[in-house]
Amino acid sequence: MTAYGKPLPRITPDNRPFWDATRRHELALQRCAECRRFRYPPAPVCPECLSERVEWVAVSGRGTVSTFVVFHHRYFPSFAADLPYNVVQVQLDEGPRLTANLVNVPNAEITIGMRVEVVFDDVTPEVSLPRFRRATT
Amino acid sequence: MTIRDRTAIVGVGTSRFSKAPTDTPMRLAAQAFKSALADGGVGRDEVDGLVINIGWPLGVDYDRFAEALGLRIRFADQSWTHGRFVGPTLQHAAMAVATGLARCVACVCGVSFIQERGLLGGPGDFEGTREEGGTHEENPVYGLTAPAAGAALSVQRYFALYGATSAELGAVPIAFRKHAALNPAAIMRSPLTLEDHQASRFVVEPLHLFDCCLVSDGAAVVLVTSAERARDGARRPVFIAGMQGMRAGPDEFLFATPGLGIGQQREFRYTPTEEQLSVYRMAGVTQKGRIELHGELPMNTSGGLLSEAHVSGWNSIAEIVRQLRGDCGERQVRGARVMQWATAWGDSTIFHS
Repeated sequence: MTAYGKPLPRITPDNRPFWDATRRHELALQRCAECRRFRYPPAPVCPECLSERVEWVAVSGRGTVSTFVVFHHRYFPSFAADLPYNVVQVQLDEGPRLTANLVNVPNAEITIGMRVEVVFDDVTPEVSLPRFRRATT
Repeated sequence: MTIRDRTAIVGVGTSRFSKAPTDTPMRLAAQAFKSALADGGVGRDEVDGLVINIGWPLGVDYDRFAEALGLRIRFADQSWTHGRFVGPTLQHAAMAVATGLARCVACVCGVSFIQERGLLGGPGDFEGTREEGGTHEENPVYGLTAPAAGAALSVQRYFALYGATSAELGAVPIAFRKHAALNPAAIMRSPLTLEDHQASRFVVEPLHLFDCCLVSDGAAVVLVTSAERARDGARRPVFIAGMQGMRAGPDEFLFATPGLGIGQQREFRYTPTEEQLSVYRMAGVTQKGRIELHGELPMNTSGGLLSEAHVSGWNSIAEIVRQLRGDCGERQVRGARVMQWATAWGDSTIFHS
């Protein structure tokens, strides 16, 4: 097996619990301990009430494709073999929107509004990336 | 205090625009600066303020430019290196003049997208790796990179929400190309048909090649001074009638101070083509002929960033000034008196002669 050559996430104190959870194959988001609002991307305060009290909560991993694109131009040499590849934005049922790839769906079949669920791709021993597939239920 | 008609543009200058590397951004900016001085009959030593939005490594920074051009400035401002800051940067120049911080401010943009094209997407785009998302939604982990990608995400959703198609949106680049054909300075002047547009390769689907801004080199300089001084200048002044800041909102800017919004005025400017499509919808850009030179709402009469050149947008500010002076020859909008600069980010500046 060759080394994973694609860009890896920048792990920071704010987002480390997110990436720790994906290694356990869990999708976890921050939820404000005061007003209960979910938020993403990770941030030290709640954008609603500015509280710093936060809990990390495992979420359903289910959502809806809000938009998507298909890359035809080769920007990254490391993605060249994947062209044309998709990138989707998924509105999670809990509210926040994540960017990822949709797997096991031909690009021509992707539609806005499609129901999807998270899957995890162990790209390195330290990093598991969430991606999405067509919802099975 | 109101800003209305307190300041004016007295001189504009542009370098040659090119799709091949020609020169350093500094040399291009120096040429455009000298051309703006000559255009406005302004002496170098009258320029005591300098504002820039596209700095290193794409463009020239304020400190090096002041040093290289021997400027004795008492006001400088340099914002984030993004095209969205053209409007705010021009507004800072007007505010500096109106408040007496400076008497004549040069807005300078010299840029080489060609030499630095690696910054525009892929491994060289360090900004795309910004924690939890780049400035156009970039996320290199998933291969999402380049400004075109952020625009493509919006366009895809726009198509779904409004039932629009790529062919309908093709009216925009086709109109701008028609304008560029009448502009000797434009890079892309050959006719663009709908068939050409639809047959062009996808960059980031659903955006075709001709939906995307040019990757080019060039410079443009705009000189802002007080209305009184402008009236004594060599050229007809172009007054800054009103403005509103970034994020003031797309619903507002069409009707920005002083109430010269869309539907109330004849000319309307809009720059990066793919962004903020709800605004496009409001402006009716895909209606037949509407944004063309002799339509109800001419836009980007120079060809804009799609067909003239990508000088961040400063080339379009120069075009506004030239139109309002009546200097545009074959592509002159008849009776042009009021024009608007506006972007997807909610800023707007309105000019009149």
